[in-house]
Amino acid sequence: MQNPYRPDLMEVIDVRQHTADVKSVRLRFRDAARAGEFGFRVGQFGIFSAFGAGESTFNICSSSNWRDHIEFCFRKVGRVTDALWEAGEGDTLGFRGPYGNGYPMEEWRGKDLIFLGGGIAMPPIRCAIWYALENRANFGAITIVYGARTVGDLVFRDELEQWAGHERVRVIQCVDPGGETPDWKGEIGFVPTVFERAQVPAENAVALVIGPPIMIKNTIPVLERTGAKMANVYTSLENRMKCGIGKCGRCNAGPVYVCKEGPVFTFEALRAMPMDY
Amino acid sequence: MSAPEGFEPKIVAYVCNWCTYLGADLAGTARLEYPPNVRIIRLPCTGRIDTNLVIKALEIGADAVLVSGCHPGDCHYSAGNYHARRRWMLFRDLLEVVGFDMRRLHFSWISAAEGRKFQQVITEITDATRALGPYRPYEAPARPFEENGSARPADVREKNFERSRQELRAAARRLLEEGKVKVVIGHGARGPVFIARPEETARLEWSAHSLANLTVYLKRPEVRALGAAAVVVKGCDERALVVLEKESQLRREELQVIGVACDGLGQAKCETCETHQPRFADITVGGAEAQSAPAAARYMELERFLEKPPEERLAYWTAEFDRCLKCYACRQVCPMCYCERCLADKNRPQAIDTSPDRKGNFAWQLSRAIHLAGRCVGCDECARACPAAIDLRLLNLALARAAETQFGYRAGMDPALEPVVGAYSLQDKEEFIR
Amino acid sequence: MSQRVSKDELRQRVGAWIAGGKMVAGPVRVKAGTVLYAPLTKADTLLLDGWTRPANSIKEFVFPRHEALYGYSIDATGITLHEAAPDLRRQVIVGAHPCDAAALEILDKLFNWDYRDDFYNRRRAAATIVTLACAAHDDECFCTSVGLGPAAERGSDVMLFDAGDGSYEARCVTEKGAALWGAEIDRAPAGKRAEAAGPAPRFDPAEVAAFAKEHFENPFWREQALACLGCGACAYTCPVCHCFDIVDEGNPRGGVRARNWDACQFALFTAHASGHNPRPAQGARQRQRIYHKFLMYPEKFGEILCTGCGNCARNCPAGLGVLPLVSEICHAESV
Repeated sequence: MQNPYRPDLMEVIDVRQHTADVKSVRLRFRDAARAGEFGFRVGQFGIFSAFGAGESTFNICSSSNWRDHIEFCFRKVGRVTDALWEAGEGDTLGFRGPYGNGYPMEEWRGKDLIFLGGGIAMPPIRCAIWYALENRANFGAITIVYGARTVGDLVFRDELEQWAGHERVRVIQCVDPGGETPDWKGEIGFVPTVFERAQVPAENAVALVIGPPIMIKNTIPVLERTGAKMANVYTSLENRMKCGIGKCGRCNAGPVYVCKEGPVFTFEALRAMPMDY
Repeated sequence: MSAPEGFEPKIVAYVCNWCTYLGADLAGTARLEYPPNVRIIRLPCTGRIDTNLVIKALEIGADAVLVSGCHPGDCHYSAGNYHARRRWMLFRDLLEVVGFDMRRLHFSWISAAEGRKFQQVITEITDATRALGPYRPYEAPARPFEENGSARPADVREKNFERSRQELRAAARRLLEEGKVKVVIGHGARGPVFIARPEETARLEWSAHSLANLTVYLKRPEVRALGAAAVVVKGCDERALVVLEKESQLRREELQVIGVACDGLGQAKCETCETHQPRFADITVGGAEAQSAPAAARYMELERFLEKPPEERLAYWTAEFDRCLKCYACRQVCPMCYCERCLADKNRPQAIDTSPDRKGNFAWQLSRAIHLAGRCVGCDECARACPAAIDLRLLNLALARAAETQFGYRAGMDPALEPVVGAYSLQDKEEFIR
Repeated sequence: MSQRVSKDELRQRVGAWIAGGKMVAGPVRVKAGTVLYAPLTKADTLLLDGWTRPANSIKEFVFPRHEALYGYSIDATGITLHEAAPDLRRQVIVGAHPCDAAALEILDKLFNWDYRDDFYNRRRAAATIVTLACAAHDDECFCTSVGLGPAAERGSDVMLFDAGDGSYEARCVTEKGAALWGAEIDRAPAGKRAEAAGPAPRFDPAEVAAFAKEHFENPFWREQALACLGCGACAYTCPVCHCFDIVDEGNPRGGVRARNWDACQFALFTAHASGHNPRPAQGARQRQRIYHKFLMYPEKFGEILCTGCGNCARNCPAGLGVLPLVSEICHAESV
């Protein structure tokens, strides 16, 4: 019998703590055959679980080109993430996936890529960035604007440094006014403001914008002003999920199941959806 | 039932940190041997021990449970054990009605100096439980009673309905026209209505369908957003207002209460009604001729039920609770269930399992009941709302009787009386506590 | 060819199914004033008198309230998962209403959308539905407004028609029904079989869908939902509501991951861990119910997620329900 709810058992091979309440975890399939056949598209998500605590939904934030592990990143906010927080190397977690539609990287070929992220929204962007860098020739100029409330809230900081060293990649980090430390070398300001200052041309660009609603609300007009079309601006929606496979009825935003027809949507599609997310 | 050969009971002891735990410690250092069957769980104070912890112990397979703390007067937090004692009195009454084996439930005061007493109590409980055998309350058969449920009282006296209707509409219209309230919460043809304009008062009804306890809407944020309210209440509903005010959930002076004198609407509770006339309304409408039922009738259904032996009672409640869907209609219709986040909806820890299986249902039903002990006014809306027709009315009677026999208290009757829960008396009964 | 069976003969068949080890369920008078679909231990308890719409539905026999998805055990060597072992005995639901039977065909679509939910499929395959066509209805029924009727055969394996004289005409609609009943499939049209007049159609579902689509942000929903207390009585008694939660229950040594019924009417149904709730008020949640049933499910699966049974309205302590709400929609549309 097929059991679509049954997870794969994963071994924790690495845990990194990014901030006071954010960790990322690398997992490898305990079943080698499964490891061999598993693949996913960047932008898809998985349902990760700590047995005894429950399941939770996170983007698979590693590149789909990396064959030896998958990675997810989470903030410690509740029962399940409390349990995930305790996981160490060698422990077993559960994983179901990949679910969702992922980013249409093939459609983004030849375009400039603009990545705009806020706070804990970096992980779902990170996978796309690595993928793009690993297929560098397929894409044009890459701009990354990533900000958080304070320096202590920024995640994957070492990778931000690495990305800046790549060809035709511009990385701008920012923190909210008041969130800087004395040795902060990045920008000070909200992501939309900093992005506008950066004057990034967007006519030939695809943008991926993920962050808190207020950030998105203020970023869209900037993108429009710099020439982006809403059909080329993407986001990854977050909604409370349980089954991830379109059965439990929880995640719909208007007429679409975020787990099946999303979580990646263009803003053109989003505007046609009712405010149900 | 005789104990199987070699059976060793599992005893869970919830003990307070300052007295009994130290008493246990003393027993250890004094080399006073006590049976290893006991699992000791330390909490700061018996006052902290929620009854669902006791239920949880039984769920996970304890054959007996002990709750033990400081002697009265010695509580490290002054009065924690007094609150606990009162809670235990109500809890024991509830569990007796449900048919639990009360020989499995033990309470004691053991001080830090009473290492020997700790040894004695644990030994006695272990020996007694060993002789009783394993306790598997959740494997009890589910046996509904043949003569289930009281037949609905057939007659609803409609004589004064039209008068009530007209007077209600007039009162509501006046209140709205005078700007005294922004919304009148009343009964419509199908269910509750929220009348904001004088012209709409014709939608207010009074009929055999006017069953809802509308006081439940006073806590709903969507209703509060409508502004100053008037609420239509029957005498039974009105008792909830007394409790809510006592529990600081409403300011009486900000509310207009329209009381409807009621002869009964054909519900089981109407047969024993003692509040046909509203007592605290700002405006009273309608007319009621029915006499108050005698006090002796109050708990008759429950007293008949208690004639059955505990095993039959447990079999009955097992059949009842097995039907529970966890729809929480009982909670949502109850005016007294106003916690912003119910204990059942919290998961750190999951105090009450959410699954609608036998253990999860018992946990919910018992926790809900004990959280309403001394507070339930017997409007029986929970019983009416339950889509599985669980006999919540009988459970409500159990709670009411416990509060009255133990403390002379009836929720919502006398605003001057101190509530049962949240208060305590130095004279609260002790005979069940070692 | 249809057969005639007396009530006694029907009970005898039921008794034989029970004796043969099948799980048999049907309408049972659980207590005075309450009829529920429940498992039968004796054929006598099957309620065959008069017309009563049970307060629950038959979905729980293919989609239980609580179902273990798998077990897990934890020890020094790690974690092991264990296949769930549900009770998959052959089951017969006898005396189902057409609105309950039709629900199964409607649910089939969702439970097999891309991912096959064999928890549901296996129980569905093991269930034979013996439907009793309705000889009456009450004010809450509206099956005829959603494409069904008192003798609708969708989802049924055997149809029984009350002949009015203490007997039933039995007609096998599917192979499964024929196998259970021991007769041939009868593909003859209904003919002069008793087709009690169902309720008059009350509304056009397409209008409801159009309203929901066009008036998503309308204060109409907030006003209509004022009386709603946010319990799950409507969803849980509905033949087609199917939302569920997934929980882990156990102890540090192991437990089960199970699914339990859940309802979009609960305040916390869509609440995020961040505190954000896309549907923070009851109006939005009531809207979701109508939207899901009349717009989203039809768009996705070509089926209305409602069979007009009226259970929501009968069970709602506040007198709400699909028909009352839809009646308000039609009223709102007409002014």
